[in-house]
Amino acid sequence: MSSANKHIAVLLFLIAGATYVIGCHSSANPPPVAAGGQPIGVYAPNSSVNGTLYHLSPVDDDPVSVQDGRRLFVWYNCSGCHGTHGGGAIGPSLRDPVWRYGSSDAQIFNSIAQGRPQGMPTWGAKIPEIQIWELVAYIKSLGTSREPDPPLEPADEAVNNPLQYSSTAPGTPIARSRRQ
Amino acid sequence: MNQFTQFRCCWLALPFVAASVVTFAQAKPGVGMTTAISGALADVHLVAPVADGQWTMPAGDYGNTRYSPLDQINSGNAGNLHVVGKVSTGIFHGYEGSPLVVGSTLYIVTPFPNDLIAIDLTKPGFPVKWRFHPNPEIDAMGKACCDVVNRGASFADGKIIYNTLDAHTLAVDANTGKQVWKTQVGDLQNGETLTMAPVVVNNIVFVGNSGGDFGVRGALTALDARTGKILWKAYSTGPDSDVRIGPDFKPFYAKDQGKNLGVSTWTPDQWQRGGGTVWGWISYDPELNLIYYGTGNAGVWNSDSRPGDNKWSVTIWARNPETGMAKWAYQIEPHDSYNYDEVMENILVDMPWQGRMRKLLIHPGRTGFVFVMDRETGELLSASEFEPVTWAAGYNLKNGEPIRNPDMVPHYGQYTEHICPSATGAKEIVPSAFSPKTGYLYIPAHNTCMDFEDTTANYIAGTPYVGANVRMYPGPGGYQGEFIAWDVAHARKVWSIKEPYFPVYSGVLATGGDLAFYGTMDGYFRAVDDRTGKVLWQFKTPSGIVGNPMTFTGPNGKQYVAIYSGIGGWMGSVDFPDVSSSDPYAARGAVGAMRDIKSATHPGDFLYVFSE
Repeated sequence: MSSANKHIAVLLFLIAGATYVIGCHSSANPPPVAAGGQPIGVYAPNSSVNGTLYHLSPVDDDPVSVQDGRRLFVWYNCSGCHGTHGGGAIGPSLRDPVWRYGSSDAQIFNSIAQGRPQGMPTWGAKIPEIQIWELVAYIKSLGTSREPDPPLEPADEAVNNPLQYSSTAPGTPIARSRRQ
Repeated sequence: MNQFTQFRCCWLALPFVAASVVTFAQAKPGVGMTTAISGALADVHLVAPVADGQWTMPAGDYGNTRYSPLDQINSGNAGNLHVVGKVSTGIFHGYEGSPLVVGSTLYIVTPFPNDLIAIDLTKPGFPVKWRFHPNPEIDAMGKACCDVVNRGASFADGKIIYNTLDAHTLAVDANTGKQVWKTQVGDLQNGETLTMAPVVVNNIVFVGNSGGDFGVRGALTALDARTGKILWKAYSTGPDSDVRIGPDFKPFYAKDQGKNLGVSTWTPDQWQRGGGTVWGWISYDPELNLIYYGTGNAGVWNSDSRPGDNKWSVTIWARNPETGMAKWAYQIEPHDSYNYDEVMENILVDMPWQGRMRKLLIHPGRTGFVFVMDRETGELLSASEFEPVTWAAGYNLKNGEPIRNPDMVPHYGQYTEHICPSATGAKEIVPSAFSPKTGYLYIPAHNTCMDFEDTTANYIAGTPYVGANVRMYPGPGGYQGEFIAWDVAHARKVWSIKEPYFPVYSGVLATGGDLAFYGTMDGYFRAVDDRTGKVLWQFKTPSGIVGNPMTFTGPNGKQYVAIYSGIGGWMGSVDFPDVSSSDPYAARGAVGAMRDIKSATHPGDFLYVFSE
């Protein structure tokens, strides 16, 4: 595909997206509105044009944004439902490769902005769009080498109960890293 | 009505004659007096009637003994127990309560979406008579801290009365399965849910709320069983008028005396988000005309941020059922620092205590102590450790204060390590049983410890309000669960069965057949000799057991024992795919202690019924 065609394709995509957002405005369920009054975008799940994937996230995996996302994850009580380190509790784990509503940046963004039926609140009207992208960046970092403040094992687990069986071989003590 | 009624009459005749003889000797005769039970130890009396063939309330009896005199299944034939019925509900969450049996119908309340299922006990295979769908709000699932559980129902005035997770109480006609009334009791959007099993006294329904991890203000609500109308509401925090404290309030200890302690023991306004929710069991003493219940953790978990005693979180209450006015209160752990909800069962027994007859309230606590109290006055008679405890060395019986270990107090920004028991407690909400024949309390116990760090918490209505990082692990001694026979009179362990891998997270049933029944998180259901602790029989159910065993007499005159098999609840939720095993902090820190459950069992939706 020529560069010119590619640009036209991207432009068409953006127009389509804008039309979608505007279209929503007139419906009974307007899109979430950020604290500042600007509508939060609703993003297509796969932002690909002719097979090329475009990252919609303005922050992607920028380390500073990932760290900010970590802070916001606690600040907005995401940790209250999804666990201090995203391992799940009231809300599902964000560390495992299981995604009820899709794992792409856009899908995670939409889950945060729009809310989901089994109790996930709608945050789009409450927090700025850029912060949602930072949360997405943090969530995508979970379980990778880029994860800030990863979960550490309880200090004495292996010491206190040598009988605790492992999932692979019952009766075998589990060697677990000690927190230092 | 039928064969069953006739049979019950015959069955009931003997104990009832005995009951009336005893009660006639006292002031007023009738149901509700404490009574001698056939075969009981000398001078050990229970609140009558005990579960006598039916099971019409959550514990089977007002005294919460979970003792049934039925003895067709006994220590001589328990080995013959076998499955005679199995029901699958199609809903895979934690089954924490027990079914009811009224007449010839068995009633199941499922976890969310809280369907009520009526099972016909007169027909082979126990077919479904009807199924009622209350259709609660689905976003309630996101307001329930510890799985979307429900702990059961009560039967009263021809109706099955129970709660839905979205903070409604409803009554369903026990025969037709049609809804009679439905009342909103709490505010779901602020994180208030209902998980407990209501108890009904003289057509007054008692409902306590959940949401102690959402900054909910704890409350007990009384409703009219006939109409669903709210009669009164007693908050656990706030001014005395809201807490229903008046001139009759006589707490035993100075620490619990004073005006408006529900306000003055908090930083300004924190009491409005102060927890003390009421999600456990309720007992009733008809002679003293008092109900008893406990309140949950103080909100927020971060205790550095709320200096003061934080009344009335973690407190045992005695109240008048008609007016809701408090008679006494005893705060077990002032300034809760560990999420020690003391909503556990309060077991009512009249028995000799250190040489004189006392009306006891026995409370095996999350804090790791068995509390024995005088239920007329609220005096603490004894507090004895039943699992490893590091947060306190014991209790000062003179002033009712715990003797705290200052090294175990959590603070902001650093982990305090080796706190025992963990936030899930030395036992959870799952209830003990008491047998008047042995004088033993049968405790389903945990040996789990934790590291705990206070953190910043923002209050955002309808979202969790925790402010703590917690990670749990098995306590010392090479076991994590223990089924304990506890000699109440001597405050000591008589025997126990240690479960190496998981806490004991099922309730207990004690019977006149010299048996105690309990289940394990990896799915075994056991009948144990109640004097020796010998396991006489066990059966492996497909899922983990977090429910309460119960027993009843069927329409054919046979005794049955029933148990749910469906893992869940706080620690059991680690088994769900939604919780990652790679993060010890997940499920509020329970994964650190429970991750191996994923390979031991899987979620289930079963009721099993056994007979010999």
